[in-house]
Amino acid sequence: MIESFLASWDLFHNAYLAGWGIALLLSLLGVWVVARDQIFIGAAVAQASTFGVAVALWLAGLSGGLAFLETHPGRSFAAILFGLLATLLTARGGGEGRESHEAITGWVFLVSGAGATLILARSPHGLEEIKRLLTSSLIGAGPADVWQFAVFSALAVAAAAALRRPLLLYAIDPEMAGAVGMRIRRWGIGVALVLGVSIGLAIHVAGTLYTFGCLVLPALVARSLAREVGQMLWLAPLVGVSASVVGFVLANEYDFPPAQVTVVLLCAALTGGWAYRRWRG
Amino acid sequence: MLHDVELEVGEREFWFLLGPNGSGKTTLLRGLLRELRPLAGELSFDPELAAFARIGFVPQRCDLNPALPTTLREFVGLGLVGIRSSRDEEGARLRDALDQVGLRGFEERDHGSLSGGQHQRALLARALIRRPRTLLFDEPTSGLDLTAEHALLRLLERLQREEGLTVVVVTHDLSLAARYATHVAAFHQGSVTAGTRDVVLTDEILRRVYGMGVRIDAAGVSIDGEGGK
Repeated sequence: MIESFLASWDLFHNAYLAGWGIALLLSLLGVWVVARDQIFIGAAVAQASTFGVAVALWLAGLSGGLAFLETHPGRSFAAILFGLLATLLTARGGGEGRESHEAITGWVFLVSGAGATLILARSPHGLEEIKRLLTSSLIGAGPADVWQFAVFSALAVAAAAALRRPLLLYAIDPEMAGAVGMRIRRWGIGVALVLGVSIGLAIHVAGTLYTFGCLVLPALVARSLAREVGQMLWLAPLVGVSASVVGFVLANEYDFPPAQVTVVLLCAALTGGWAYRRWRG
Repeated sequence: MLHDVELEVGEREFWFLLGPNGSGKTTLLRGLLRELRPLAGELSFDPELAAFARIGFVPQRCDLNPALPTTLREFVGLGLVGIRSSRDEEGARLRDALDQVGLRGFEERDHGSLSGGQHQRALLARALIRRPRTLLFDEPTSGLDLTAEHALLRLLERLQREEGLTVVVVTHDLSLAARYATHVAAFHQGSVTAGTRDVVLTDEILRRVYGMGVRIDAAGVSIDGEGGK
């Protein structure tokens, strides 16, 4: 099994490395999402990023002047932009006299899902791209994607190490965070920006399923195993990267799509985690 | 909105901010936490008493996601945000804070398994780990039974006397103020009457604040025409 995986390295190493980078980055960010109990936001932002790619393809089809949007960087830009808008929009909910987070998140998810298909309904090539994003395929990843996620992951790990305590306090008790002098509004915008950019980048390389799976499943597994939120910060990336390594090896051996195998493995790990938590009491 | 406030909170004082719902108590507390700025007038802070690192805040409640795993050690340690200290010093601060609230030995307990009274003491420990000079409380006794309520207030009284802390408590409970306060600020339609307990807790001021006769005597608090609390 390992020999066969190593034999595929020359052909698919960019896809493997980008996939592991995404798993590391998103599973770390997912700790914040899970700690805030805003799991559905991850799904909505991922869907909005997909909508962004659809809008880019549609605009590129309208006029030759916007051909940039059909290129890899152009679609990445659109995915990030829509991901950012979605995170900022969902972050605004829940205040006095405003709609709830859940209502706004649901709206973003549904309008993005329906919009992505409708806007490209008459473009066979565009619909194919959206299907690829929704079903998740890592095959198209290139060296630039690998470097991009390596750098982002390194930055995320460094930020999590340096700002561990304020991040945790902000995630689990924002009122107290404000009382000790943290500027809550700025932190909220900062976290939303990081989430929007990371999910937007990941969507374009790995698709919705793998992105959303890596965002929430490792952190949920970590939550069921850890005794403290702080432990989730190293457990979640460990679970995410381990599952994607094993998932890619199994997918190569049995000729399955790697993203789906990884997500199934993470779901199995989560079921085990829940059982462990129940047993632990 | 508060519009007529003249108030000076000094060292080693035990303040109760009293008044009906919506009278501005929590607004003033948020001002003390720098979350709100006055539109007019001045709100000034003695850096020794009220720099962020010198303030401990205890919210009414902490809506911690119950599914999150958190030990008491981690929960209390989060109070150290914004304070630079070595690992050894953090350990010493944690031990001191837990000692002060009587939760030493509970470090590894899951936060979710604490009782209401223990949870309130954990919140206080999270404030005390900052080694504050000033403690601010928003309705600290809501949801506590009578025994836990007085245990908490006696603890605050001891901290104020023995550790020299300044304590500011927002509460609805007049009887607690009558028993524990050294100073009271009574809020009424955006204005504040403040001073020592005996000066503020008079029949006349309480009638103005609550819009009815409220009497405080040895039997407790009573409303004119009704029995004592």
